[in-house]
Amino acid sequence: MSGAWRQKLFSYAVVVPLAAVIGFPFFWMAVTSLKPEFQVYDPTKVWSFHPTLASYGFLLHHTAYVRWIRNSCLVGLAVVAITLAVAMPAGYALARLAGRVGRTLGVAIFLTYLVPPTLLFLPLSRVIAQYLNLSDRLWSLIVVYPSFTIPFAIWLLMGFFKTIPQELEDAALMDGCSRFGALVRIVFPISIPGILTVIIFTFSLVLNEFVYAITFISSSTNRTLPVGVPTDLIRGDLFNWPGIMAAILIPSIPLALIYNAFLNRFIAGFTGGAFR
Amino acid sequence: MGEIRDGSPAGDRLTRRDFVKKAAAGAAAVGVAGAAAPFSFAGPLRFKGRWLKGDLSIIQWVHFVPAYDEWFDNTWCKQWGEKNDVQVNVEHINNTLLDTRAAAEVAAGKGHDLFMNLHPMASYEDQVINHAAIVQEIQAKVGKYGALGKASTYNPRTKKYFAVSDNYVPDPVVWRHDLWNAVGESPATWDHVAKAAPLLKKRGHPIGIGQSQELDSNMALMAFLMCFGGFVQDEHNRPSLFTKKTIEGVQFMANLYKNGEDSAIFGWNPASNNNYLYAGTASMILNAISATRTPEQLNLPFVDDLWIWPIPAGPHGRLGLEHVMGCYSIWKFAQNKANASKFLADLCINYKQATLASQLYNFPSFPGAFPFDAIRKVAAADPHKPHGKYTILTTIAEKYTHNIGYPGTTNAAMDEVFSKYLIPQMFARVSQGKMSAHDSVRDTNSVVKDIYAKWKKRGKI
Amino acid sequence: MGVIEAVGERRVRNLRYVAERRGFLAALLISPAVLFIGLLVGVPFALAVYLSFTDATAGSLTGKWVGVQNFTSELHDPIFRGALWHTFLFTVISQAVVIVLAGLLAHALVRSFRGRWLLRFVILLPWAAPIALTAIGFLWFYDPQASIFTWILERVHLASAANPPNWLGTPRAAMSSIITVQAWRTIPFATVIFIAGISSIPQEVDDAAAMDGATGLRKLWYVSLPLQLPIALVAVLFGIVFTATDMVVPYILTNGGPFNSTQVLTTWAFQTGINAGNVGQGAAIALFMLPFLAAVVVGMLFFARRAEVT
Repeated sequence: MSGAWRQKLFSYAVVVPLAAVIGFPFFWMAVTSLKPEFQVYDPTKVWSFHPTLASYGFLLHHTAYVRWIRNSCLVGLAVVAITLAVAMPAGYALARLAGRVGRTLGVAIFLTYLVPPTLLFLPLSRVIAQYLNLSDRLWSLIVVYPSFTIPFAIWLLMGFFKTIPQELEDAALMDGCSRFGALVRIVFPISIPGILTVIIFTFSLVLNEFVYAITFISSSTNRTLPVGVPTDLIRGDLFNWPGIMAAILIPSIPLALIYNAFLNRFIAGFTGGAFR
Repeated sequence: MGEIRDGSPAGDRLTRRDFVKKAAAGAAAVGVAGAAAPFSFAGPLRFKGRWLKGDLSIIQWVHFVPAYDEWFDNTWCKQWGEKNDVQVNVEHINNTLLDTRAAAEVAAGKGHDLFMNLHPMASYEDQVINHAAIVQEIQAKVGKYGALGKASTYNPRTKKYFAVSDNYVPDPVVWRHDLWNAVGESPATWDHVAKAAPLLKKRGHPIGIGQSQELDSNMALMAFLMCFGGFVQDEHNRPSLFTKKTIEGVQFMANLYKNGEDSAIFGWNPASNNNYLYAGTASMILNAISATRTPEQLNLPFVDDLWIWPIPAGPHGRLGLEHVMGCYSIWKFAQNKANASKFLADLCINYKQATLASQLYNFPSFPGAFPFDAIRKVAAADPHKPHGKYTILTTIAEKYTHNIGYPGTTNAAMDEVFSKYLIPQMFARVSQGKMSAHDSVRDTNSVVKDIYAKWKKRGKI
Repeated sequence: MGVIEAVGERRVRNLRYVAERRGFLAALLISPAVLFIGLLVGVPFALAVYLSFTDATAGSLTGKWVGVQNFTSELHDPIFRGALWHTFLFTVISQAVVIVLAGLLAHALVRSFRGRWLLRFVILLPWAAPIALTAIGFLWFYDPQASIFTWILERVHLASAANPPNWLGTPRAAMSSIITVQAWRTIPFATVIFIAGISSIPQEVDDAAAMDGATGLRKLWYVSLPLQLPIALVAVLFGIVFTATDMVVPYILTNGGPFNSTQVLTTWAFQTGINAGNVGQGAAIALFMLPFLAAVVVGMLFFARRAEVT
């Protein structure tokens, strides 16, 4: 019993202070977002001020903020769909079928991340503008983003597929399933946690992307969240701090809640779904 | 709760944004009332209300003064479009992102017809048309291109206008008259500043001239250096940084930092020196009039003590730079070159309205469009105290504003020196005691020489 | 059955046989991914390599061939050499912090306890928030005038109001600041992957270890760590690669300053290639890391395979 108690103590002693430190910026963001804009620099008003929701109102009613969130969500979901469609078969193939070649290809996955987008966006803008004719359209992002979400998704799914015992598939094959049928009917349902994980990681990669979003998208209504906020809330020398803080909090909290909810299933999946 | 600020009734708090909007609208009304009717064009708008045939796409920065963007987007572009049967689309992005977008548009071979940047895009010379015809057209209507504009957008080597500047922003010092008075000084010369700085710092009000990797520091330090006779290039566009005068200037600023400034100046972004002032800390900064307009709108307690003067004089004289310069370029691959040319010409010809809409932030690069005397009269009518303080802007614009790269012209090499923040770096290393002034200048000069050699090889200098 | 039908049926059976063959199926399944990555990463990458050997400027995608001149002139540039060193520091230190803290957090979070859900939520927040925006947020937290960290330090008398810490203005402080922010945003990501690694240790191993009397640190060192290694290693790898190739944090917080003391390769490549219009040179700078990073990746993966315990 004392062992378990000690473990709990260890957990609290580690998690609580770290969570406090990690979460403190968000707390301060919340406080700042409630301040009237002209008081943010007042040293006498650090904590004593009349909280107001004016910044949230400004964000939602006087900028295209809602539109940017919608754009980011659309792009995110579309990219997730494409990523899953491409990475699942590839992950399976690399985990099961490809042997030595598969392992080398697995390493090659990392190598695609070694080229920074700070460089790639130039040739890609030509591709988008001239060959695909997608300038200033969200489709340009939907087409380009999978290039950096797919490799990571493949790695994740490879890991998941490896934990699914070969015997399950072999049993299905002996029962007369084609290999493809075994894939669809046995393997994929078990890897739902893996799929959820890919969804989380992919969505977060999409939401964090900035360079391609600023180069391919022009008009204000087509902007994604990371691009729209700095443009409309930073005016030359004027930073609208409460507005910026509100803009960060509004999507982060729901997203963190969703990630948290998925986390349990993700962990369950990693422990091998078949025998639980 | 005792939160009432001087001069404002309690319960009358508006947000900063409301203030900016209201004040801007008010000022625009005042300014425009001093001009003619509030319409952009005389005569009927022939295509009003109809579907417009032509196209024109423009990209430019988010103007510090929201009223300017409102005027530009909703009045000027709309009416120009209706008069010329062109659908005008304007896009605004942060000025820091304009370079990225320019590179992307060139790489893509496709982009906006009119590209505006806050610095002349000299390195893009090969990607843009020769704007000479546009310049002639404007000159025919309002008189000669100002020396500042021409030196910034013309390459004497290739004889090409790589951009047309519609406006520039004069760069004064903004200083706290009450604080300086208390120590019996004023920033007439840099020696005066050096004398007052320790006294001011002791009272908790240091000077605020940035030495960071950002625009304001770049401008302030380059201008300061010019006052001491230090120039990055000479009149033949050859590097000339490594001189005794430059070293003296760098040393002077290092001493000024040690005695009269705060180490905060090394970690600034373009908004920081403004905020330093608004918080009541700074006794002097070098900035465009955004630094006075915002305190007016926020009704800060010391707003009437904010004075605007030209840059202090140094041993070599009183030389300043423009704070930013609006430059429009038309890509070679633009699809609506004719519309773009006409738009640009019309804008520069009618620039008086733009200047007024920007609350005197933008000064026309073709001075004939709004002569200095006329601007002075409008500035004199500004209601803020001390009365007539904005008239000095005209003097600064007329006499003390030079192009980046003075006494030479603005070119791609100068642009690269600017974009890599070599000058702030040169100063900061010395101020923080990492290098002697002599070594810092020498090292920076060798980097500068490499850059110039490179662009010379490309035939641009 | 006529001859034609017989042949037709045979053909279909052949096709199915072919589809059953491992190699063919594998290639079929992998090809969309390879195609995507090849077109959208491979081709631009090849173009970028080409550009690094030219004097391309101002967004142009062509230029005059200059051989290795871009690379050699960068090596002579002290700012570039500094950027190399800063990139190394930035990556190694931030990821070392991440590994330690994420490891601790992961071990603490696998067991269930009251409030775990809420604490996990808080820890996930930095990952859920878009980094481009949180970096701007940190500009506010580090603001020279109104930094909340300074306020706290002053209240606990670890800093004086007369000489407040200059978070982004001195080389050491600025470097620490960007390392802190990078660690802050990576910890949730690493924690999640580490948790997965820990959870993947089969219960039987746990039980066996307990029966053998291995507990606490001993268990950690001899049992848990080696078993987690494959997954943990990949988390570390991704962290390193993402950090070394990401420019958002240094770009927004310090833009390379003060006087280039936080300039990393990605920001320097950006300033050179985009802001200063020197595309060829920017490409050379950005590509410089590639061989080193590739060596690190391959080395670590090789090491992982050797240590794999399955």
